[in-house]
Amino acid sequence: MEYVASLLVLIGLYVILASSFNLIIGFGGLISIAHPIFFALGAYTVGVLSTQFGLHPVLSIVAGFVVAMLASFMLSLPSLRISGDYLLITSIGFQLGLLEIIKNLDFVGGASGLGGIPNVVQQHRSLVFAAVALGLAVAVVLGLRALVRGPYGRAIQAMRDDELAFVALGRNAMNIKITIFAVGSGLAGVAGGLYAYYYQYLTPDQFQILQSAMILTMVVVGGMGSVYGPVVGAVLLLLLPEAITFLNLPSSVMGPLQGLIFTSLVILFLFLRPQGLVPSSKRLSAGGGHE
Amino acid sequence: MLDFQTLLQIFWTGLANSTYAVLLAAAFALVLKVVKVWNFAQAGLMGIAYYTMYLAIQKLGWPGYAALVLGAAAAIVAALAMEVFGLQTFRRRHSPPLTFFIFTLVLSELVQYVLAMVAGTEPVSLAATIMSASYIVGGVVVSEWDLKAIAVTVVLMALLFVVMKRTRHGQYMIAAADNPHLSRLYGVNVRRVYALTFVLAAVLIAVAMYLFGTRASMVPNTPLEMMLFAVIAALLGGMGNVFGAAVAAVFLGLLRAFSILVIPSAWQSLILYALLFITILFFPQGVRVARRARKKPAANSAAAGA
Amino acid sequence: MSNVLSLNGVCKRFGGVVVADQITLDLKAGEILGLIGPNGAGKTSLFNLISGVFPADSGSIALQGRPLSRLPLYARARAGVARTWQHMRLFGSMSVLENLLVAPTDYPGESLWRLVTAGVSVRRAEQQARERAMHILERMKLSAIAGANVNDITFGQQKLVGLARALMSQGPLLLLDEPMAGVEGAAYETMRQIVREEAAAGRAVCVVEHNVSFIRDLCNSAVFMAQGRILERGDVATLLESKTLAELYFGQ
Repeated sequence: MEYVASLLVLIGLYVILASSFNLIIGFGGLISIAHPIFFALGAYTVGVLSTQFGLHPVLSIVAGFVVAMLASFMLSLPSLRISGDYLLITSIGFQLGLLEIIKNLDFVGGASGLGGIPNVVQQHRSLVFAAVALGLAVAVVLGLRALVRGPYGRAIQAMRDDELAFVALGRNAMNIKITIFAVGSGLAGVAGGLYAYYYQYLTPDQFQILQSAMILTMVVVGGMGSVYGPVVGAVLLLLLPEAITFLNLPSSVMGPLQGLIFTSLVILFLFLRPQGLVPSSKRLSAGGGHE
Repeated sequence: MLDFQTLLQIFWTGLANSTYAVLLAAAFALVLKVVKVWNFAQAGLMGIAYYTMYLAIQKLGWPGYAALVLGAAAAIVAALAMEVFGLQTFRRRHSPPLTFFIFTLVLSELVQYVLAMVAGTEPVSLAATIMSASYIVGGVVVSEWDLKAIAVTVVLMALLFVVMKRTRHGQYMIAAADNPHLSRLYGVNVRRVYALTFVLAAVLIAVAMYLFGTRASMVPNTPLEMMLFAVIAALLGGMGNVFGAAVAAVFLGLLRAFSILVIPSAWQSLILYALLFITILFFPQGVRVARRARKKPAANSAAAGA
Repeated sequence: MSNVLSLNGVCKRFGGVVVADQITLDLKAGEILGLIGPNGAGKTSLFNLISGVFPADSGSIALQGRPLSRLPLYARARAGVARTWQHMRLFGSMSVLENLLVAPTDYPGESLWRLVTAGVSVRRAEQQARERAMHILERMKLSAIAGANVNDITFGQQKLVGLARALMSQGPLLLLDEPMAGVEGAAYETMRQIVREEAAAGRAVCVVEHNVSFIRDLCNSAVFMAQGRILERGDVATLLESKTLAELYFGQ
C-alpha cells in the first residue's frame, strides 16, 4: 500500500512536469531543456522556506511557483528577444549553470544537499501526498485542456503555423511565448515544492539532465501535440522501471539502463511515430511549418 | 606575488590546454556551418572516439597512433550512421527543427548511458601516465605533450583551411553552406558534402579526444560539458565561421586559465555558463562584427520579391 | 492631417540592393492607390517597410500623423495597418473562421491573466468576434465554408479568406499584396466589390497588382515603381498609356 501510494505521488508529480513541459515545447514550440532546473528551484525554495523560516506549506509551494516563474524570465527574456534558437543554447547553460551555483551555495546545503525538511502531514502521509499530487495533476491537465481549446490555444496554434502573419495581425508573439514559458516553469516549480515536502531531502543530483531526458521521453512518447499525451507518457515511463526492477540488476547498471531505455524509446518514436502515442486533437499539430 | 614568470606559465599551459578545445569547436562549427544543424550528438561522438581509443590502448595494448586511427574510424562510422539513417530521414520528412534537436541531444545521452553501463563511471585515461617529459624554457615548464598538442592542432587547422579554401570538395562545402538548393542545381552532391563534413568533424573530434585523454582522464558525462565549451566558442566566433570558432576557443581557454587567479576553483565552471549568457546577450551574431550579419530567415523570406 | 499614410524619403537597402530609394507618398482616406511595376521593383518591400517587417534605413512613415518608425510589427498592426500577403500565409491547421478569429487584438482572451480572472468578458468578446467574422464572411459569400480547413478550399477562396482576415482589423489602412493573382470569376468580382466598399467606408487602400484591368477598374490613382524608386504617380489612365513606362514594364 505504501509502495503504491509513493508510486502514485511520483505519477502525479511527473504528470505535472510532463504536461508543463509539453506546454512549453509541444504547444509553444519553445525548445528548452531547462525544465529540471525550475523543478529544482521550486523544491529548493520550499526547502529553504520550510527549514529556515518555518513557512506554511501552501505558502511555500506558492513561493516555489513564483520563484520558478521569475527565474524563467531570466532565461526567456534575453533569449527570445534574439531568436527562438538561442533559447535552446541558453537553456543548456541555465540548467547546468544554476545547478553549479546550487552545488556551491552553502545555505542550500551545497553538493551534499538540503535535508531536514519538516513533515507536514502527520496521518496517512503517503495517501495524503498521493491525493494532493494526483489532484494537482488533474487540475493542471484540465486547466491546460481548457486553455488549449479556447482562444489562447487558438492564438498559440496560429503562432506556430505562421508567426509572421500572426504578428502582422497585431498579436504580440513575444508576450505569448514568455507567458507560456513562465507558466510552464512555474508549474514545474509547484511539482518541485511537493517533491521537497514528500522526500524531505534534496540534492542537486536529483535535478540533472537525466531528468530532462525522462521528461522529454514522456512528452515525445506520449504525444507532443496533445493534452493527454504527457499523461500517458508519464504513467508508462514510471511503470517501466518498476518492471525492470524484477531483473534484479546492480544499481550501478540500473541507472544507466533506465536512461538507455528512455533515450532509445525517444529515438524509436522519433522515427516510427513522431506524433507520439496520443495523436493531437484536430486543431493541434506538433509541426508548425509554413509554405 | 604575481610575477611575469607565473603569468607566462599560465599563458603557456592555457594555450596548450586550449588545443583540444580548438579542434572540438572547429568540428562543431563546421557541422553547424555546412549541415546547418546544432550537432548535439557531438558529445556522443566524443565519447565513442574516446572509449574506443581507451579500449585499444589500455585493453588491447595498441600503440597510440593505431588507437587514434581506430578512434577516428569509430567516430566516422557513428557520425555517418547518424547522418545517413537519422538526419537524412528527418530532412526528407521535412521534420521541424525540434526533431533534429531532440534526436542529436538524445543520441549523446544514449551514448553516455551505454558507456556508463559498459565502462562504468570510474575516470579513465588514455595514457599510462599523464606526466610527460618536460623542459624549462625561459623559466616556464614546457612539456612534450604541450608541444605535440600545439603542433598537431596547428597542422590540422591548416589542413582544414587548405581543404576548405583550396580543394574542390571544400568549395562544394562552402557552396552547400551558403545555399543548398542552388548548389544542388549546379550539380553539387549535397548529400555527399554533408557526409564529408561529418567525416572531417569526426576526425577532428578523435584527435581532440586523443590529446585530451593523454593528458587527463574522463567519465562518460564529461563530453557534454566539453561540448558546451565548443558551442560557446562556435557562437562567439560567429555562426558560420569555423576559424572564428577556433580563435574563440583559444580566447576562452586562456580566459579560463587566467581566471584561476581571481576565481576559486569551485566556481570555475560557472564562468562558462556566465560567458554563454554574455555571448548570447551581446554577441548573438558572433564577435566578428565585420561579417555580414546573418539575419533570421523569416525576415528575409518575407523581404524577397518585389 | 487628412493623410492616412505619409511616407517621406523612405530608404532601405540590403547589402548592395536598394529596395527603397527616397520614397515619398501620401494616401488619403477612401483612396485606392495602385502600385505597379516590374518584378523586383520594391513593391512588396515597400509594404514590408510600412507594416514593419523590417525597419527603414531613413525617412519617416506616419499613420494618421502618428510616426510608425519606432513601433514593432505587432504595434503597427494594432495602430491600424492591415495587410495581406503575396503568399497568403493562412494558418494551415485551422478552419476559415478560426483564421479570422485570431485577428482581433482588443481581445481579453489574449492575456492569460484576464482569461483566468475575467472569464465572462472573454466569452462575450469571443461571441462578438465571432459575429464580426461571420458578417465579413457573409459579405464575401464565404459563410458556407466557415468551418472548412483552409487547405481544403479553392485557391480563390483562400485568397478571399486572406482578405477577410485583414478586414477583421478596424484600422484605417489596408495594404493588399497581389490580391488578384491567380483569381478569376466570382472570387474576382467579390474581391473587387469588397475593396470598393472598404474604400467607400473610409479606409485608405493600397494595392500591389500586375492585373492591369483590376487597377483600371478600382484605383483612383497609381504609382509606378522600378528599382526601388517611384517613377511616376498619376491617374491610372494616363499612367498606363505612358510609353516610357510600357517599355520599362513590358520590355523586361
